[in-house]
Amino acid sequence: MTIILILATLFALLLIGVPVAFALGGMGLGMLLIGGFSPLMAPQSILSTLDGFILLAVPLFLLMSNLLLKGGVGRDLFAAVQAWVGHWPGGLAVATILSCALFAAISGSSVATAATIGTVAIPEMINRGYEKRFVYGLLAAGGTLGILIPPSIPMIVYGFVTEQSVIALFLAGIGPGLLLVTLFVVFAMLHARLSGGYTPVAKATMEERITASARALPSVALAALVIVGLYSGAFTPTEAAAVGFAAALLITTFWLRSMTWAHLWEAVRESAITTVAILLIVAGAKVFGKAIALYRIPQDISAFLAQTIDGPVMFIIVVSIVLLLMGLVFEALSMILIMTPVLLPAALGLGFDPIWFGIYMVIMVECALITPPVGLNLYVIQSVAQTTLGNVARGVWPFLVLMLVTVAVLYIFPDLVLYIPFKW
Amino acid sequence: MIFITAVSRFACVVAALLLAATGVMLTYEVIARYFFIRPTIWAAELSQLCLIWGCLLAMAHLLTLRRHITVNAVTGLLPHAAQKVCTAIALVVVIVFSGIVAFWGYEIFHDSFVRGRTTGSLLNLPVWIAEASVPLGFALLTLQALVELIGLRGSDTTSLGATHE
Repeated sequence: MTIILILATLFALLLIGVPVAFALGGMGLGMLLIGGFSPLMAPQSILSTLDGFILLAVPLFLLMSNLLLKGGVGRDLFAAVQAWVGHWPGGLAVATILSCALFAAISGSSVATAATIGTVAIPEMINRGYEKRFVYGLLAAGGTLGILIPPSIPMIVYGFVTEQSVIALFLAGIGPGLLLVTLFVVFAMLHARLSGGYTPVAKATMEERITASARALPSVALAALVIVGLYSGAFTPTEAAAVGFAAALLITTFWLRSMTWAHLWEAVRESAITTVAILLIVAGAKVFGKAIALYRIPQDISAFLAQTIDGPVMFIIVVSIVLLLMGLVFEALSMILIMTPVLLPAALGLGFDPIWFGIYMVIMVECALITPPVGLNLYVIQSVAQTTLGNVARGVWPFLVLMLVTVAVLYIFPDLVLYIPFKW
Repeated sequence: MIFITAVSRFACVVAALLLAATGVMLTYEVIARYFFIRPTIWAAELSQLCLIWGCLLAMAHLLTLRRHITVNAVTGLLPHAAQKVCTAIALVVVIVFSGIVAFWGYEIFHDSFVRGRTTGSLLNLPVWIAEASVPLGFALLTLQALVELIGLRGSDTTSLGATHE
């Protein structure tokens, strides 16, 4: 009964438009006061959250990707990939997916990925006669790769709240990321074959390929440096992000020569605003998490699920449906922060690996990013392409199906997630 | 009112600089460790301090910018007047929450300050340097939320934030 009351109050606060951070924090504080616990725990939880060294990776990865973004790296990446695969069947669509995947390796955010590649790819594809809805869906879905392929801000946050290794999570995202890229590419080529109607791109000459690749190369090398540095243990995620930030500054200033003071300040300001918005939610969720733990709510939910749900398959199906429903209204990070503390104890009890469960959560919130009415990537593509939300949403469903297929495949073959971090 | 908004805006600029400074410090740390084989004792600790202060200082201005992450799906369906009522209620929630946190945050800060507690780390800084950010940041947020509440009547905006980041 208490649980229902608490959840109902929380959802009411969120739905009348209290910013997520303060709704979670306020709810937690209220529960502390009503339950007779010390209200000092609220400011203490906020301080201890923001004191987390691992969370420093959030502003730094944002700075790195914002700098590259202002330096025009999205355009360069797309041009380079297009030079290599543009003449394939559905070549521009394939180039779009691959550029999204490459940009995902630089950026930890879905929106940035969808917006950056979308701005370049959408006009190009539509001019060539690709079906509009397919184009919108492709970009909205391709953007979600941003948070599955490392670095990934939701993974940092998941690792922080569950005390799991962020490096393991990053490495675990690579396998599923590549699987999803493959599925998207195959679908794009089949779609192009079956629907036709677009003008193919001429094959680029070797010279064009080299020129285009030269501009994209430093960014790709930077992404590789971050991953290799993490994998070899040379950097912690926070240090990798700091080095990435410095390298991004050098690349855009000296190699691409596209950095100006105005761009630099804009990147610094935007990164700060996004960081604060994200980390305050994490802090609010920490206060809320503290309060529900004192009320023993995760244990109660876990016990309830253990009684009513029969085995891990049923658990994953029920949780997926709940997350898809939540995804209709909530955005990615809030979902991870609200649901992880509630679900993880039950998942561990059923024998799920915490790293696997993290990757599963990330893919499920990716689905949330592209389901209407609240799908962040849908909005982004809608505004980039100047079209209606309905058009984007109708284009996106085949990709949603592919993502759910991926979840099923990962459930059957968990090693796709766990092999790279633990067995390689 | 204009004064409070200006203070918030200035605090946000300082916050952005603090967060960018963490990048410079930590890059220096990596270089110092791998190339000079002399890790610093200050980079990690000072950058964590910058993160705490950065986040809490910028909070108030994010409210003015309407950049806090907010669920707008349901309020978006309501008529304009009802949306304003929801926003007013939401602001009251923010004011009460941040006011209480500022008060108890001050208690924590004051206690550490009086007792002269230090972090016990390599730099051994006084603990209150970090803790002072809570009363200050949340007091500024409380004031800014009051300003927003007073200004709500005459303004066109009906939501407290963006749907996303």
